Amino acid sequence: MLKVQEIRELIKLIDQSQIEEFAYETNGTKVSMKKQNGKVVTEAPVQTEAPSVPQAANESSHSGQTVKETTAQEEENNQEAPDQGSEAAPAYDKEVTSPMVGTFYQASSPENDPFVQIGDKVKTDSVVCIVEAMKLFNEIEAEVSGEVVEILVEDGELVEYGQPLFRIKSV
Amino acid sequence: MESTRTRLIALLEEQADDYISGQQLSDQLHISRTAVWKHMKELEKDGYEIEAVSRKGYRIVSSPDKVSLNTLQWGLKTEWVGKQLIHHRQIDSTQRMGHELAKQHYPHGTVIIADEQLEGKGRMERNWYSPQGEGIWMSFLLRPELPPVHAPQLTLLAAAAVAEVLAETCQVTPQIKWPNDVLIDHKKMAGILTEMQAEHDHIQYVVLGMGINMNQPADSLAEDIHYKATSLLIETGETWSLQFVTQALLEKFEQLYDLYMREGFPPIKSKWEAYGYRIGERVSISTMQEKWEGKLLNIEPDGALNAEGPDGEEKKLYSAEIHWGKGGYYA
Repeated sequence: MLKVQEIRELIKLIDQSQIEEFAYETNGTKVSMKKQNGKVVTEAPVQTEAPSVPQAANESSHSGQTVKETTAQEEENNQEAPDQGSEAAPAYDKEVTSPMVGTFYQASSPENDPFVQIGDKVKTDSVVCIVEAMKLFNEIEAEVSGEVVEILVEDGELVEYGQPLFRIKSV
Repeated sequence: MESTRTRLIALLEEQADDYISGQQLSDQLHISRTAVWKHMKELEKDGYEIEAVSRKGYRIVSSPDKVSLNTLQWGLKTEWVGKQLIHHRQIDSTQRMGHELAKQHYPHGTVIIADEQLEGKGRMERNWYSPQGEGIWMSFLLRPELPPVHAPQLTLLAAAAVAEVLAETCQVTPQIKWPNDVLIDHKKMAGILTEMQAEHDHIQYVVLGMGINMNQPADSLAEDIHYKATSLLIETGETWSLQFVTQALLEKFEQLYDLYMREGFPPIKSKWEAYGYRIGERVSISTMQEKWEGKLLNIEPDGALNAEGPDGEEKKLYSAEIHWGKGGYYA
């Protein structure tokens, strides 16, 4: 989830730039901005997730510009403190993303242990999860060696193309 | 060795009911007459019935019904599917072997066939009951030049290939339950399991497995699946040649795959839709999160299922289980 400061920073940068329109997506969070009469206007993002997933909205006003942000998931796995301002960005080097729309499975069957858990060491060819679409089972590999620092989705969750699934810190 | 044998079979086959002399065979294959005789003995072991008449030569009286490398490749009209063919009497799982061969750089189109799987793999590591000689248990190793997002369409393609072969060759009326279970008379006759190793924009390989129930008598289908599985024998009352149907499947699969590569998904989608099961009907649908009753509307241009969602709205599904009949099959 983007922090208010980060969004402010973005607005500032875009305001000063020649960019007319800007969209940014990470971990189910989408932010899009468009300039109107030379001013930045941030639009409410499109909600693409399953309706059962909890939602959170942050609003902030800043010198006539409006910002709306919605997250698809309340980052249950993220140990971030509620005080967003004092928190540093999580340390990771690589995000493993989904190559297709489908269902995320953290284990090869409901009876088995998850492929990986937070704190596990992985190698480039370690299988970290399965994404299934239309009965095609895609074994996702870590592609880097390191330590799993964050798991961004839950077992059985619907994931979008390009959605980050894991964060890995190189060791 | 294998190619000499294949050519020998081809030569014998060309002659049909006529004899071909040992000398002719020896000349054409550039091997000794003793070697010809040895090959004949090997073919007999594979179940070929060969008649040898002095001064006339050899002829094939009957080809075996037995599945072997020879019988599978003999007369197989494919360009690339099954050119590299691995056959085992007994194997843990053709899927598992497919993964191994992929890592050993076996080519696109390699086919692994087993008479019996000891640990046949179904979805989610469920077992697939695959006894000796009673069904077709095989996996295709594919290296498609496709973006990974399109790869799930291969599962619908494979189901369409199985359904077409059953309809055209075996005179039954198959249906496909989205996305890829092949049913006859509401019971499952064939299952498909597709596994992929891919990076973001590149498919390393796909192993596509098919399990087709062929000659199981009703009492041979394992107890726990009896009520929801069937075989071609049960449906037609006839025993089928595994080799014959396997070849038809390899040929059909290649044909549809080439069509897909040439023209994309639309022609595959039409073929699939000709067999679509319960489209337009109300069924029970479940995803990992929820379960509801809704109508199956159609399939999307990308192969996803379009169905009525829990609140009656249209919902595009990439992963879902379809159940039907309260308390009946797949309850």
